[in-house]
Amino acid sequence: MAAYATLIPLFPLLAALLIGGLHFCRIIDGEAGEKTTARLALTAIGLSVLTALGLLIADLSGLLPDSVSYGAWLRSGTLTVDYTLATGGFNLVLASLFSLLLLVAIRFSVNYLHREAGFHRFFFILNLFAAAMLLLVLSGNAVFTFIAWEIAGVCSYWLIAYAYDRPIAAHNATRVFVTNRIGDGGFILAICLALAWLENADWQTINLSAADLEPGDATLLALSFAVAAFAKSAQIPFTPWLARAMEGPTPSSAIFYGGAMIHAGVFLIIQLEPLFMQAPLAMSLLTVIGALTAIYSYWVGLSQTDIKSSQIFATSAQLGLMFAECGLGFWTLAAWHLCAHAVVRCYLLLTAPSILHNTHGQPIQPVAPALANCRWAFIASLQRGWLEPAMDWLLVKPVLRLAKDVRYIDEHIVDKALGAPAPAIRAVSSLAQWEEQKMGANLDSQEDSFAQGSGLAGKLAQWTAALLNWFEYHFILRGIGRDSIRFGRRLGQAANRFEQLLLQPRYLALFVLITLMVALGYR
Amino acid sequence: MTDSLPLLSLCLAWPLLGALSLAFIQDSELAKRGALLVAAVELLFTVAAAWVFDTARDDFQLLEDYPWIPGLNIHYQLGVDGISILFLPMTALLTLMALLASWNSVRHLNRFQLALMLALESVTIGVFTALDLALFFLFWELTLPPIFFLIGLWGIGAERRYAAMKYTLYMLFGGVPILFGIILLAINHAHYTGGAIPQDLAFSLPVLLNTPIPDSAQGLIFLLLFLGFAVKAPLLPFHTWLPTTAIEAPAFLSALLVGLKLGVYGIIRFAIPLAPQAALEHRWLLAILGAVTLIYGALIALQQTNLRRLLAYSSISHVGLVIVGIAAFNLQGLQGAVMQLLNFGIVAGSLMLLAGMIQQRLGSTDLVHLGGLAKPMPRLTVLFFVFVLSSIGVPGTNGFPAELLMILGALQAYPALAMVALFGAVLGAAYLLGFVRRAFFGPVVHDSVAKAQDLRPRELALLVVPVLLVLMIGLYPQWLLSWQETSLQSWWQRLSMAVPQVTTESKHTQKTAILGVPSDGSI
Repeated sequence: MAAYATLIPLFPLLAALLIGGLHFCRIIDGEAGEKTTARLALTAIGLSVLTALGLLIADLSGLLPDSVSYGAWLRSGTLTVDYTLATGGFNLVLASLFSLLLLVAIRFSVNYLHREAGFHRFFFILNLFAAAMLLLVLSGNAVFTFIAWEIAGVCSYWLIAYAYDRPIAAHNATRVFVTNRIGDGGFILAICLALAWLENADWQTINLSAADLEPGDATLLALSFAVAAFAKSAQIPFTPWLARAMEGPTPSSAIFYGGAMIHAGVFLIIQLEPLFMQAPLAMSLLTVIGALTAIYSYWVGLSQTDIKSSQIFATSAQLGLMFAECGLGFWTLAAWHLCAHAVVRCYLLLTAPSILHNTHGQPIQPVAPALANCRWAFIASLQRGWLEPAMDWLLVKPVLRLAKDVRYIDEHIVDKALGAPAPAIRAVSSLAQWEEQKMGANLDSQEDSFAQGSGLAGKLAQWTAALLNWFEYHFILRGIGRDSIRFGRRLGQAANRFEQLLLQPRYLALFVLITLMVALGYR
Repeated sequence: MTDSLPLLSLCLAWPLLGALSLAFIQDSELAKRGALLVAAVELLFTVAAAWVFDTARDDFQLLEDYPWIPGLNIHYQLGVDGISILFLPMTALLTLMALLASWNSVRHLNRFQLALMLALESVTIGVFTALDLALFFLFWELTLPPIFFLIGLWGIGAERRYAAMKYTLYMLFGGVPILFGIILLAINHAHYTGGAIPQDLAFSLPVLLNTPIPDSAQGLIFLLLFLGFAVKAPLLPFHTWLPTTAIEAPAFLSALLVGLKLGVYGIIRFAIPLAPQAALEHRWLLAILGAVTLIYGALIALQQTNLRRLLAYSSISHVGLVIVGIAAFNLQGLQGAVMQLLNFGIVAGSLMLLAGMIQQRLGSTDLVHLGGLAKPMPRLTVLFFVFVLSSIGVPGTNGFPAELLMILGALQAYPALAMVALFGAVLGAAYLLGFVRRAFFGPVVHDSVAKAQDLRPRELALLVVPVLLVLMIGLYPQWLLSWQETSLQSWWQRLSMAVPQVTTESKHTQKTAILGVPSDGSI
């Protein structure tokens, strides 16, 4: 019976494929197709809810095994990655809860998006997201959790860029995805470490073998997972992406950043409780980052003037608290906190426009005067703690500048050094020229060269030819010294430029990084 | 040993026969259909070859062996193993797609273009099936004439002749060391058997694989072969022909050039197995070169404003990762590398064809002429996005399992390089999605974009198969891996058998146990 668990994410996936496929073929399109799309989406998620609740009841009465495996997804030597679903307590509880929230959000969207241009696209994405989210909480394997994790991220990207003709939406979507990609790096690293050390990435195996790992290894593994969780749940220093993600339609914001996806990070940490218990350093990091995020979000939230922004900073503050709870060892509290917060925040974000409507004209409660009078604190709050400019300055800008330099090197140095055939334009371009050349005129060089080349290979060939020529014509080659002064000056200038470049901080940092990596490699 | 039906010879000769028969068809419309038919039947032949291929065996299958130049002991020897078999249908599919994509874009010398495409297909199949090194080298060099004419005559850039010349010169330069390497190998065999030079030379790969090579010669042979293949791969610093070619060549040819990674195939097939000890000694060179190429290509791609140049640099970056995967010298890295090579054909080829379709509609793929493409061309955008996701390595597409395996392999061999690969993954998302944002999203500013037509049925039809393959392999990678598993396992075992100290040298005994190597492995 536990095998039916795979149906929970499968129904929305099938609905997504159907809606996407039919819409791509223009079979359902425009207002006429809205009913079909809505019916498909609601049926699928409704079936998922029923399955999840049924399995939850079965699990509570003790009828279900802890996990169910469906076979190998990938095999490499003795490594295997199985498609496994966890059908134990917390996973099923969350699956039921999230599927219910998704049902609410999808039903809400049917009316909310009526006659919108991207109606079908929206429902395709939302269904795909539902499938991803339900797979995420049910997966018994780190690889499948990551697959779902990433598909949910792509859905979030698509929905932020829902109004893709607005440049700001597209820009924010890209920014959010790339920020999250850093966290994904942590997740991939963690999966690879688990596969390399344990031959297996099942959550059960990771948790059971956590005690056998060396403390350093366990800490590294836990930290990698923690980075992934921080990025997904918008903890410091990744918090700013959450505010950028508010570009999407309201129901999608509610379910992505209020109800389901934003909690994925905390869920991951709770799932890995035994591993983190082996890694005190990672635990303390959870506490510190969680507490910092809570304070930061509270502070920034104080100065927000629109309802979505203040909601979203409240969300990250609550998530910070959950991380801190995990870090302090209150795992059950964090789990309850997660469930309760998902329900409340989803409701608050869904009803945000109605709340505005109802409270119209009533000013919100002012900030306590003691806080309100700190001018610097106020500026810091308005500027959202300069967190994003700081990240830009630290990461984005150096990489972009480095990219520019590398491009310059590639186009002006590597390409030239390697050599290229003489461009056609420099060769004979007209009949008259060709005739003149036939008669012995040398049009394209002031020296008596008969072979021309550029770059390493070209020059080599040219020089060899010149040398042979030299012997051939009894030492009649002359006048190489003419250019030496000019060449020397140019060389000096180039050397100067090179040195200036080397003194720039990004190269200094790069060298330090390379040295560290070399040291790490030869450990 | 010859099978009853010479299937590989059929695959090899069929497109060439088709190309020759085009000379007798005067009507260009009829010729197009004829060429398409030939390519479609060729796809059937290659699929049939893959069908009869026995995945449980690790040796060369479908062997054909006839003396060709008895004086030098050169044979016409064809055969495939698990590494090469899937490249045949991929080549056939890509050629078929390229033919369909060039349906309306070629306006002059129609039949000659079709004939050259089919000839190129024939020769490429030859490269993948030739087991005799002299025969291989013949096919290797024969790829040049069709490509030279295809770039020079139907290129879309102003400097197409220059690009054709540059490509040819680079490839000729790369061919020389390969030829030297092959000659050295043949002579070494004669020395080893104590035979006379002309009659007892051996060019057959299965024979040479069993001929021990003295250490001093191995280094030279490996470096010669590696140098030659690195030019074609392309690896830093020999990569500059690819961006030039990508921008000047017609899109259907660029798709073949970025899709078929003959150079990397050569490294896996010839350079490493023929000189295993030297390869292991120089693996740090491979790894570092790969990592540098990976980051270098990604950084430059970040700076590109032209889609075709961007795709060229992204392809260079991906080659870097594949080389890192190979240099890991473990099963995971290798499986990921071969899988990624197959992905290239599907994903990079399709992206390049899509770029060609944009070029055909708007006359440019440069950002200044794009912007807001998603509005007039939703279907093209959807398909482009699927391939972009695969190129980034998002789970659910075929890019993910390959990337996961390569990073896993690299992590076990060089932890520091795995970090570099992860950084490359972040950059990959940044440059591709950054381009998508500026080209496909945002408001429509140009009239030409607003009036652009979405994909036509012919273009949709040619992209359906690759999209399905992307999703299919992404959802169930074991399907693809099972073809290669046995061959790669024996490839890797041969390598570790040749050099027993590899396993004993390794510090992490746990890791070797994972990989299933006998720790006392000896010859």
